[in-house]
Amino acid sequence: MGAEIAEARTPILSIEQLEVSLFTRGGVLPAVDGLSLTVAAGETLAIVGESGCGKSLTALAIMRLLPEPPARIVGGAVRFMGRDLVSLSERQMQRVRGKDISMIFQDPMTSLNPVVTVGDQLIEAIRRHTDVSYKEANNRAVELLRQVRIPDAERRLGDFPHQMSGGMSQRVMIAMAIACGPKLLIADEPTTALDVTIQAQIIELMKELQASSGMGLIIITHDLGVVAEIADRVAVMYAGRKVEDAPVASLFERPVHRYTRGLLGATPSAHRRRGSRLVEIAGSVPALADLPAGCAFQNRCADVFDRCRVERPQLRPLLPHRTVACFAAEKELSRDAAVIGA
Amino acid sequence: MLTLLIDFARRFARNRAALVGFVLVLAVIGVAVAAPWMFPRNPLRIVGRPEIWPFVSSRYPLGTDSLGRDIAAMIAYGARTTLLIGLCASLTATTIGISVGATAAYLGGWADELLMRFTELFQTIPNLIFVLTIVSILGQKLEYVTIAVGIVTWTPIARLTRAEFMSLRDREFVQACRAMGMGNLRIMFGEILPNSLPPVIVLSSLVIAGAVLFESAVSFLGLGDPNVSSWGQLIGDGRTLIRSSWYICAVPGLAIMLTVLALNLVGDGLNDALNPKLRDR
Repeated sequence: MGAEIAEARTPILSIEQLEVSLFTRGGVLPAVDGLSLTVAAGETLAIVGESGCGKSLTALAIMRLLPEPPARIVGGAVRFMGRDLVSLSERQMQRVRGKDISMIFQDPMTSLNPVVTVGDQLIEAIRRHTDVSYKEANNRAVELLRQVRIPDAERRLGDFPHQMSGGMSQRVMIAMAIACGPKLLIADEPTTALDVTIQAQIIELMKELQASSGMGLIIITHDLGVVAEIADRVAVMYAGRKVEDAPVASLFERPVHRYTRGLLGATPSAHRRRGSRLVEIAGSVPALADLPAGCAFQNRCADVFDRCRVERPQLRPLLPHRTVACFAAEKELSRDAAVIGA
Repeated sequence: MLTLLIDFARRFARNRAALVGFVLVLAVIGVAVAAPWMFPRNPLRIVGRPEIWPFVSSRYPLGTDSLGRDIAAMIAYGARTTLLIGLCASLTATTIGISVGATAAYLGGWADELLMRFTELFQTIPNLIFVLTIVSILGQKLEYVTIAVGIVTWTPIARLTRAEFMSLRDREFVQACRAMGMGNLRIMFGEILPNSLPPVIVLSSLVIAGAVLFESAVSFLGLGDPNVSSWGQLIGDGRTLIRSSWYICAVPGLAIMLTVLALNLVGDGLNDALNPKLRDR
């Protein structure tokens, strides 16, 4: 697996310099600022960051489902299979949603319509984009429920969402998302609302489905355990910008950006020495309304120096297959290179 | 589906008063349906001596009015008029109310502003005067009375639908439907509406009761359709004799009272049965 294989393929989705702004009473806030990402078929990209860093807005922007107002795409392109989704009309976009790109949401219990049976919702999802009879769609619905490992699928079709557990509901959501064989699946915190054992099952299921269908997968999360489990590549976001982009193994092995290091340090793990404390990242994210000049992370960074306060770091390919936007990392890595060179 | 219905019936029947109301409404419907068999001839024709008191003559159990028309026949046919106007007016009001409320809430922004100001405009117009104005402009026919009553009673339904839609609009399942590629109309009416229907149904059933009262008032004032029998009209015709033959007003008055009461009781029962918050209480 991993970036080497994925990079050989052409990306199915490539986001170029995406800008999403929030038009609020207090002014225009750059919620997603110059974001570029690519996802290849069969690749899993994890977008990581804390609440409010713009990761969910990015997902909604791809689907063109931003809450307008206040949010709006103000620049950039979202190229999907050669087409720029930003320029499509709402009607054209409706043909893309659910068919080419699907999305699953955080809370499965509220993502299903409470007054419609699971079966009818699945059949609706199937018939939305494929021209089949009710009966054929019904058979396909049973098949899909089996595919997501729901026991007793025929009987379950008649159930209402409140008769299902959270894990079951998320399985149904996944079944609906893959009903029309999408090329890209976006999962916005798909396991956050579930308990841990169910989380693992859902992650396993998504991996399996991806392996068999070859779809691209974007998983948005703040759970680094999930990232390690499923992702090929990770994009770390902070205050609306991508600060680090790396293959998952090399990111965990050697986080370069100071914020990524902070995130990893703040994650509990079984290998941690007994009695050692989790290190939290001091301070808090600056409000979008008063982002400082220079690096947005400067007020929480231990390695901050003068340049960080005046100049905004750009993403640079500091290591193979990786880009980082951090001056401290640049300094450190060039010093390393110098040592090796000498 | 069947178990759901049984469940619904059980919850409805738990409210005894609603059950009584339901039986009364059924009785009125029964009389309305059976009217042409019970009284095959035109109810407005003169059949005998005027002012026969009820329970005196076996041929005219509810007596005759000032012109000598059979009150029982007029009550039976009046039930048809009353129910028809009530149902159709409520349907009209519900259709307008849901369309306006749903559109306003779903689209939001200036569409919401515009539609709600429009609704408020209608709320400020005195209802009865508005109905009388429409009827006197369009003409004294059953259809026009129905439309007029529908036009004055849709505002509370619009406001209720809007409130329900607003609370449902931002729920995750709506987002999920959009992510599935559904269009606005499909989401509004196929997905959100079924969720917001229970309280709207309750209000619509109460609008039926209101419509019955409006129809009676219009007919009492002599602006109803003169070619059909109606309870309000009967009271209006009998009002000059209220000192001597008060039963001419009292019999249809009692019918109106019982019907409106029954409809209100059914509305309460529906509320209990459909409101998920009151379930399992």
